[in-house]
Amino acid sequence: MTRRTTSPESQRPARRGARASQVGLESRTRAWLRHHRAMWLDSAQRLAKRPLSSLLTMLAIAIALVLPSGLWLALDSARLLDAELDESATVTVYLDTRLDERAAMDVAARLRDQAPVAGARLVTAAEGLAEFQQGVGLEDALASLEDNPLPAAVVVTPADTDPDSVRVLASNLEAVDGVDEARVDLAWLERLRRLAELGQRLALALAGLFGLGVLLVVGNTIRLAVESRRQEIEVVTLIGATHAFVRRPFLYSGAWYGLGGGVLAIVLLVLGGHWLSAPVTALAESYGAHFTLPRLGLKGSVLLCFCSTLLGWLGAWLAVGRHLADIKPR
Amino acid sequence: MIVFEHVGKRYGGRSEALADINFRVGRGEMLFLTGHSGAGKSSLLRLIMRLEKPSRGRVLVAGHDLDRFHLSQIPYYRRQIGVVFQDHQLLFDRSVFANVALPLEIQGVEPRESARRVRAALDKVGLLYRETALPIELSSGERQRIGIARAVVNKPSLLLADEPTGNLDPQLSTDIMRLFEDFNRIGTTVMVASHDLALITRLRHRVLRLREGRLVGDEEAT
Repeated sequence: MTRRTTSPESQRPARRGARASQVGLESRTRAWLRHHRAMWLDSAQRLAKRPLSSLLTMLAIAIALVLPSGLWLALDSARLLDAELDESATVTVYLDTRLDERAAMDVAARLRDQAPVAGARLVTAAEGLAEFQQGVGLEDALASLEDNPLPAAVVVTPADTDPDSVRVLASNLEAVDGVDEARVDLAWLERLRRLAELGQRLALALAGLFGLGVLLVVGNTIRLAVESRRQEIEVVTLIGATHAFVRRPFLYSGAWYGLGGGVLAIVLLVLGGHWLSAPVTALAESYGAHFTLPRLGLKGSVLLCFCSTLLGWLGAWLAVGRHLADIKPR
Repeated sequence: MIVFEHVGKRYGGRSEALADINFRVGRGEMLFLTGHSGAGKSSLLRLIMRLEKPSRGRVLVAGHDLDRFHLSQIPYYRRQIGVVFQDHQLLFDRSVFANVALPLEIQGVEPRESARRVRAALDKVGLLYRETALPIELSSGERQRIGIARAVVNKPSLLLADEPTGNLDPQLSTDIMRLFEDFNRIGTTVMVASHDLALITRLRHRVLRLREGRLVGDEEAT
C-alpha cells in the first residue's frame, strides 16, 4: 500500500479518475460515437468479406419484401382507378321516346336544377345513335332502321358520389316529368371497392407475415454470426464489455442485411414493373383506359429501405438478446 | 483488497465446490492459490470476477460487496480486474496490437492514448516488436505474455491469473512469474492460481492451499 502511493505509476489511475469525472460525459459520448462508427464499418466489412452468403441473405429478405410491397403498389393503383371511377359515377336518365329535341332540352334543364346534381349533359337521340354506331360497329344494321330506336338521355353527375345518396337521387330523378327511367349501376363499383379493401387487408397480412419472415431470416443469420464469434463474446464479456457493446456489431450487421434486402427489393420491383408494364398497358387499352403501373417513387423507396433496415435491426436485436443469455464465459 | 467471509459455492445438487472459505488479501499483496485440479481454484477466481455468485457468505473486493452489484454494474467492475487465462484467450482474427487494445476499446479510451498504453504494455512483456503479428504466429510462451499485456493494459488494481503457466516449460514459467512480480512491485495486487508447487515454493509468496473446496492452508510469504 505504501509502495502504491509513492510510485509514479500507481498515481496514474487516481489522476485518470479525476480527469474522467471532469470530462466524463463528453468523452464517453465521443467514445460511444467512435465505437458506433467502428462497428458500422466493421460489420459492413464482415459482410463484404463473404459476398455470396451476404447477398443470398439479402436476396431472401428482398423476396420477402417484394410480395407485400408489390401488392401494396397494385392496390395503390386500384385506388387511383377508384378515384377516377368516383367521378364517373353518373346516373343515366332515359327520357320518354316521344319527346322531341326541344322538350328533351327542357327536361335536361329541369334535371340540372335538382338539388344534389353537379351537372347534366343531354345526349340527344341522334347523338346517342352516332355513339352507338361508333362503339358497336353495327353501322350497316343500324342504318337500315327507318327510325332511331334510341331515346334521348341525360347524363347526370351527382354532387354526392356516395352510393346510397346516388340511389336516392336516381329515384328522385325518375319522378321528374318526361323521364322514362333513371339507371344507376353501382353494384360493380361497390364490388370493386370491396375487392380493394380485401386486397388491402391481404397486403397487410402478407406484410406482417413476410415481415416476420425477414425477422427470422436475419435472426437466423445473426444467430450463426453470434455462434461463430462466441469466443470473442466470452472474452470481451470477461474483460468488462457491456451488453450494449457486445450487441452493437450484430445490430449493425442486421441493419446492413435489412438495408441490402430493401435495396434489392426495390431493384426487383423496378424490374418486375418493367416486365409487367407492356401487357398491363395493352390490357388497359383494350378496355379503352389509360393505365400505367405505378412506380415506387423516391418516397416509397426510402420508406421501404427504412422499414427493411428497421426489420433487420430488430431481427438482430432479438437474436442477439436471445443468444447472449446462453453465452456465459467458462 | 479481497475479503472472503464464510463463502460456500454449490453447483446444482453436487457436493460443495467451495465450503466456508475465509481469507483476506491486502492491497498490493501477491499470493498463490494452489491445490489439485478440482480443488476449487477456478471457482474461487470466478467468484472474484463475479462470473458467479456464492451460494453462501460474502465476497468483497475493493470494499464492494459483489452480491450487491446490479447486473449492469458488473462490466464496470470487471474493468478494474486484469485476468490472465491458462489458454490465454486471445482472438485469432486480429493482430497482437488489437488484442491488447481490446480492454481499452471496451472502455472507450481515445485511440492515440490507447496506442500509447498498448505499446507500453507490450514493451513491458518484451513483445513490442511483435505488435503487428497475428497470435497464430506466436509461440505459446509469447501468447501467454500477450495475454498478460492485455490483462495489465488498463492498469488494473487487481490481477488474477488462472494457471498462467499450465502449458509452459519451467524456464518460460519462471519468466511469466517474474512478470507478475514486476507488476506487483508497482502496486498491483496479484493472485495466481497454480498447481506448480515447485515454482510456487521457489518464489516465496503467500500461498492459499485448497483441498476439496476447503481452505487447508494459508502460508505467509517467507
